[in-house]
Amino acid sequence: MITVENLRKTYGDFPAVVGSDFSVESGEVFGIVGPNGAGKTTTLKMLAGLVEPTAGTAEVLGMDPEDPEMRRKLGFLPEESPLYEDMTPRSYLRFFADLYDVPRDVADDRTDEVLDRLDLEYRDRRLGDMSKGMKRKVAIARSLVNDPDLLIYDEPASGLDPLTTNVVLEFVRELRDEGKTVVFSAHNLFHVESVCDRVVILNRGEIIARGTVPEIRAEHGETTYHVYTTVELPATDDHPATAPEGDRFVATVDDMADVEALREAAESADGRVVDIRTDEASLEDIFLRLARESPTTSAAEGGRGRS
Amino acid sequence: MSDHDSVRDDSTAADSPSSRFEGLRTRVVAHLRAVARIARWEVSRSAGTVDRKTIALGLVAALVAAGIAAGAVGSGVAIDQNLYRVGIASDSPYYDAVDQSSVLEPRPLSDPNVELVVSETHISVADTQTGRAAYQAYREAVQSYNERQMRLEANQSAAFPVVVTLQYRERGALVPAGSRVDGGNGGSAVSGDGSGTADGGDGSGADAGDGTGSAGSGTGVDSSDAAAADDTNIGASSLGGAAGLFGGDASGSPASISPPFPFASLVLAFAFLVPMNFVIQAYGSSILNERVNRRGELLLVAPISPGDIVAGKTLPYLAGMVGITVVIAAAIGGGPVSVAAVIPIGLLFLSSTFVGAMFARSFKELTFVTVTVSVFLTTYTFVPAIFTNVTPIALISPLTLVVRDLGGDAVSLGDFAFSVGPILLAAIVLFLLGTGVYREEDMFTQRSVPLKFLDALDSRISRPRSIATLSALSIPFVFIAELLAIAVLFVLPVDVTVPLVLVAVAVVEELAKSMHIYAAFEKARFARTIRVSLLLGALSGLGFFLGEKFTAIVQLVGLPSLTLGQAAFAPSGIGLATAAGLLVAPLVLHAVTASVTALGARRGKSTYALALVGAIGIHVVYNMQVVTNLG
Repeated sequence: MITVENLRKTYGDFPAVVGSDFSVESGEVFGIVGPNGAGKTTTLKMLAGLVEPTAGTAEVLGMDPEDPEMRRKLGFLPEESPLYEDMTPRSYLRFFADLYDVPRDVADDRTDEVLDRLDLEYRDRRLGDMSKGMKRKVAIARSLVNDPDLLIYDEPASGLDPLTTNVVLEFVRELRDEGKTVVFSAHNLFHVESVCDRVVILNRGEIIARGTVPEIRAEHGETTYHVYTTVELPATDDHPATAPEGDRFVATVDDMADVEALREAAESADGRVVDIRTDEASLEDIFLRLARESPTTSAAEGGRGRS
Repeated sequence: MSDHDSVRDDSTAADSPSSRFEGLRTRVVAHLRAVARIARWEVSRSAGTVDRKTIALGLVAALVAAGIAAGAVGSGVAIDQNLYRVGIASDSPYYDAVDQSSVLEPRPLSDPNVELVVSETHISVADTQTGRAAYQAYREAVQSYNERQMRLEANQSAAFPVVVTLQYRERGALVPAGSRVDGGNGGSAVSGDGSGTADGGDGSGADAGDGTGSAGSGTGVDSSDAAAADDTNIGASSLGGAAGLFGGDASGSPASISPPFPFASLVLAFAFLVPMNFVIQAYGSSILNERVNRRGELLLVAPISPGDIVAGKTLPYLAGMVGITVVIAAAIGGGPVSVAAVIPIGLLFLSSTFVGAMFARSFKELTFVTVTVSVFLTTYTFVPAIFTNVTPIALISPLTLVVRDLGGDAVSLGDFAFSVGPILLAAIVLFLLGTGVYREEDMFTQRSVPLKFLDALDSRISRPRSIATLSALSIPFVFIAELLAIAVLFVLPVDVTVPLVLVAVAVVEELAKSMHIYAAFEKARFARTIRVSLLLGALSGLGFFLGEKFTAIVQLVGLPSLTLGQAAFAPSGIGLATAAGLLVAPLVLHAVTASVTALGARRGKSTYALALVGAIGIHVVYNMQVVTNLG
């Protein structure tokens, strides 16, 4: 569906995207994750044909991103939803349907269905009189007016209240279930974890991790073990000391060898291990750690950026 | 047939002329449909932004303006309508003269509230300033009435027994020795042999003899020539009366002779400019509105090109301008020439506003841009038209063609091309420049206007030869700027004017040849090496040289017959060898000076400025040498 090779974009001397390589399979929700200024939006805009890469190639739906035919099969949702405020949702959606050669009746049926699913009742109210959440729903409906094969959504839940965010994220899942391919950017990693099949993590324009969320967790995440014992144990070279917690004692370690050492020590002291609990690192934890360790962190400091 | 053959046949079919034509037709139709959709949307959306009260107010204002215009056209603008009351009997022989005067109002003799009483035997004037003014108006009314009556006579020789042909001349200082001045319609009139007439039958027989152009000699001028003399730029006398306002009567009294100032035509021609100033306000807002808050981003990701969007957004405003122009032309008696001359002006208004709206960072800056466009273009088009009957320089404005058209004068194709060509080309280039930055990476950035300008130039550069293309495309602007310099400096003594024009020409041309090279270097489009700089300079010089040859069109209207025209454009009346040298020399000059500026531009802004000064200096010296050596 999408193949990206050594994609680069620089603004003057500032490297916004530094040699990205990834591919997106048909029917998956692909997440591009990173903080502000990581290069997410620039990457998405290069895929949508809005921004010309400085180097590298991107093939979207088997075509060049700037090919108008590719755009016919693309639904793009920018981070902001600046709509024409003097129009109504219906006239706005009809106008865009017209640009995509979608017949009026087909467009009306399609947008009515989407707006019903997004729970937007007001079809003939001025967009300028609508809330941000309502406008976002209209923008999402616009991205679907041409029944695209590929959806590129830049921060679709940005700035929305939790209720609307849930509606939008649920809608993205439904799109995937319908067979649409969605490329989805976010800096809220909870959104990514809850929706995306695969992700790339960008930092300072560079991909620092990639894969499914479990894969990334396995490769980059640290699992923490809380070992509960019946006896208090002093610290040794093999394990840390246990601390009282209620009627038990607990030590926190991040290695199974330490767990084993604690078990042996407890048994030597006529005690035993009564419980072991594990904490898996969140995507956010992994991201923060990778960002700190990223060698490009200092390289791009001070440049002007686009997220 | 094998698979291979099948593929080959398909390929052949796909490449056939008919299939290529079909493909082209499909693409053109797709573009036109996209443009029409955007245009339709622009109309409906713009209409939606105006509330009903504003629409009603606008309609009332339009009706009032139309009423005033109709009144002005029908009876002239008369704020002094029925200003003076005249007591006069209805059977008085002077009654019709008073009644037909717009200033005078006839009243019964018994009415005491009058400024003037005209009885059978005498005229009584109130001993007040108003009374004396009323008497003066009465005398003029009677005189005009008499002239009108005389014109109705079948025997015009009896009515006007003396024929005097007046011909207005340019100032002697501006007439090259030995040349004739025949109103500027003559082509290469510099030779002074009287052979170069392009307008036919304009009295060349009277002028060609000794080159002194003695007015009123009447030699070889028959009645048809005299009538044709009114068609020349310098123009014949204009006599008083309503018709005289449109270029002069054939007859009248010496007292009613007025200068060749086509007042009424000018006023009416100005009516074409007024709506444009309003239309560009709405147009500029619409363009900038797309850029505010990235509103237009979604159009850019739709399966349409930026050109389609720009064309679609511009079309309704252009159509509005054309519609208004046609209506105004119909109302004031303008013909197709007026409409055809005004439309390029409208395009230039729109294109300038478009570029301004693409560069402006806020509505505040846009206001500055639109006001600047309004003032500059209105001045540029209107002021030269004042001199319609005085000098061919007036033709730098298409409005001059309108004034001529309204005055019933003929407009030659050469005049039309000279007047409209640069304006039209400039408008097209401005649209291209603005469309170049109608893309995500440029539309939504908050860069300063000069930087946006450089972005726009750079957007049209993809390879070294683009530099030559841009240099050639700068010619309309160079032409306009140089003509403007001539028009502005026209009033100064020629000894001062010529050097100033030569400097102005050098500045304009060196800027035109180098700004895009500087933009390309600033945007890191090319390597900043000496070799590349020299290559770009040579290409720029070549492109400019080729584009400059289009200025040969000035030969069509006799502008080079003026000393100023010779200073600004290629001189004529020279030998073949000199002409050949002059053909190559400008190419060398342009290549050298453009290379100098390119070498400066590769190092940055300061060195570019220094190099520009140097290039201007070289250019000025060259111009001085050419003018001095060729006289």
